[in-house]
Amino acid sequence: MRKVYITGLGFISSIGNNAQSVAQSLRDLRHGITLFEPFQREDCPVKVAAPVRGFDVSSLDPEDWTLPEGVSLRREVLRGMSPHVAYAWCAMREALADAGLSEADISNADTGLYAASGGSPYMLHGLLTRMNDHGVMRVSPLAVVSSISGTLNFNLVAHLRIKGASCGFSSACASSAHALGFAHDEIVLGRQKRMLVVGAEDCNRESILPFASMRALSLQTDPDQASRPFDAARDGFVGTGGATVLVLESEEEVARRGAKVYCEMAGWGQASDGHNVAISHPEGAGLQAAMQNALRHSGVQASEISYVNAHATSTPIGDLSEARALRRLFTEAGLQPAISSTKALTGHGLSLAGALESGLCALALRDGFTPGSANITRLDPGCEGLRILRQTLPEAPRVILNNSSGFGGANVCVVLRRA
Amino acid sequence: MPDSVPAPAGSTTPVTSSSTRRFTAEDEALLRESLRRCAPSAFEAAVQFRKTGNHEHVPSILMGIIERFVEPDLRPKLREGDDDLRLVEDLGIDSLTMMEIVILAEGVLQMSINNEELRNLRNIGDIKAFIDAKIRGVPTAAPARFTPVDELSAVLPVQPPFLFLNEASVGPDGAKGKYRITGQEFFLQGHFKGNPVMPASIMIEAIGQLAMLYLIQAMPVEAGQIVTPGSIYFTGCEGIRAHRICRPGDTLSLSIKPKRSKCPLATFEGSIRVGQEKAVMVEELTLTFGLMPKPESA
Repeated sequence: MRKVYITGLGFISSIGNNAQSVAQSLRDLRHGITLFEPFQREDCPVKVAAPVRGFDVSSLDPEDWTLPEGVSLRREVLRGMSPHVAYAWCAMREALADAGLSEADISNADTGLYAASGGSPYMLHGLLTRMNDHGVMRVSPLAVVSSISGTLNFNLVAHLRIKGASCGFSSACASSAHALGFAHDEIVLGRQKRMLVVGAEDCNRESILPFASMRALSLQTDPDQASRPFDAARDGFVGTGGATVLVLESEEEVARRGAKVYCEMAGWGQASDGHNVAISHPEGAGLQAAMQNALRHSGVQASEISYVNAHATSTPIGDLSEARALRRLFTEAGLQPAISSTKALTGHGLSLAGALESGLCALALRDGFTPGSANITRLDPGCEGLRILRQTLPEAPRVILNNSSGFGGANVCVVLRRA
Repeated sequence: MPDSVPAPAGSTTPVTSSSTRRFTAEDEALLRESLRRCAPSAFEAAVQFRKTGNHEHVPSILMGIIERFVEPDLRPKLREGDDDLRLVEDLGIDSLTMMEIVILAEGVLQMSINNEELRNLRNIGDIKAFIDAKIRGVPTAAPARFTPVDELSAVLPVQPPFLFLNEASVGPDGAKGKYRITGQEFFLQGHFKGNPVMPASIMIEAIGQLAMLYLIQAMPVEAGQIVTPGSIYFTGCEGIRAHRICRPGDTLSLSIKPKRSKCPLATFEGSIRVGQEKAVMVEELTLTFGLMPKPESA
């Protein structure tokens, strides 16, 4: 099987807007959660979120936005964007620079782009309100392009002049892990030499608060306590947004370009719960199968895994079902890989989660640390037998599993290996 | 991304409500909001138009709206006020931006424009004339027929390297064309030594070629007849003035209007400008032509 490497990373996240600051946040267990101004209303019981800093993308009109210094976009580029596309644009700039790729290097038949976001409910709502209030013919002609699921790939593929494979993935919180998996396959199958993988989400009332009524969000008012996967008192996830871009390249391309690598992406696997539209399988059956498929596909033994970046979002049901799946795969085989959920620091990025966390794992492999699971005061007894890291370890794992699970019971597991 | 956005046809009825309905403070606030990225003069003009219905304000409203959608580096071009400025080629306005312009103009001028009407608007002058006709409730002029460079050599008997038109639009009242002097024209090697200047005689030839296109595409002749393309020749020219030296890099904007015709002669007036500057003016240029029966298939 052709080998696939991660050669570039770009982050716009609640814990940093570049790889260096993100890595430092992971080492220091510094979170990005805060009392989020748009939530501070009496009718809103949710108070915290993990917002992105350095952007003001709160207007429906992209021409009003403030982007980080040094980023300027022509009106014709900006007009079809939603907030998360602007995040992704900035993360892409960083990832391409990191990988040492020019515009010409990515605009060719050998380079593709796979993306995942939930679209922009904020833009969609604003534009539909305008349509209903002002008339069907009074909405921006870019209304559809800037708001529906797919806006992320439409914008990036067109404006980066991508000529290879392009597609958007939609499996909720497993979306960008799916994008990463299928991007890996494109290279393994020899269809593409290089894939850009993008995960992104808005971070606003419209992207996060619809999860409140299903009781999935933490109602904590103390940002330091809000996101605590595997803690006995966890009460839901903390929403975040932002973007992560990963550059995947074939072994030949890495050699030809003399590119530096973060790590190898050894393979991936997926499986579905076939259980409930929104609740994960109580025994984590689908997730366990996804991990087993990922190991088999990568030719890696469970005993080789030294770290699992768990999906664990800090919801009571989800974390427990993942803990059960991990226990059956590892503990019952006498294995003790380090386990943590970086969502304690970043918040839960929904469609962004898989790409973000695989990005964090790639950083850990290159920079030589194993991220800890923050904010655990009292470990959930359901996690007994699992080696859940409370602090970041100053040593690199050798092989990592990164889990993601989404609505409908979709489960994806990505395998990353030290290069 | 689709290069044009389909939309259902809108009403084509002229606007009469602007002067009959009272213009409220709320209307003014809405207008200010929708024109907030346009020059203040466009907003002032829009207020006046909505209060009085006076059509004279429309051009400055439209120019303000168009300017807002043109990239800042291209705006000085627009301010020169050349009606021949092309929306796509000169101003970078694609079909989606055209939609944005239309949506804003519809809201401000309280009118609706359908897709068919938009398709033929190629330059600033077309937009001004179209909106003006629409607001007055008079029929919009028949759209000019546009011929791009690769079709010109199929239509005209004259061919490269002696074809001095890159594109042309022919309507019932005359024709307009463009030619960009590339510097590669063979005769510039000798005209003059180390100092390439477009010969005035060639510029008159270019006017003649545009008149030739008019004869072929739009000359009114007896029913069942057409002008024979191979029958057109130059007979005379009067009142020629050259005002400006034209060099490689200049884009010539050519224009001809028919003055009189009686088979086998047709007389035109013609001009060439570069931007807003006069380059060559021709009071009369006369061509001779022959007719032939219209082929069945045409």
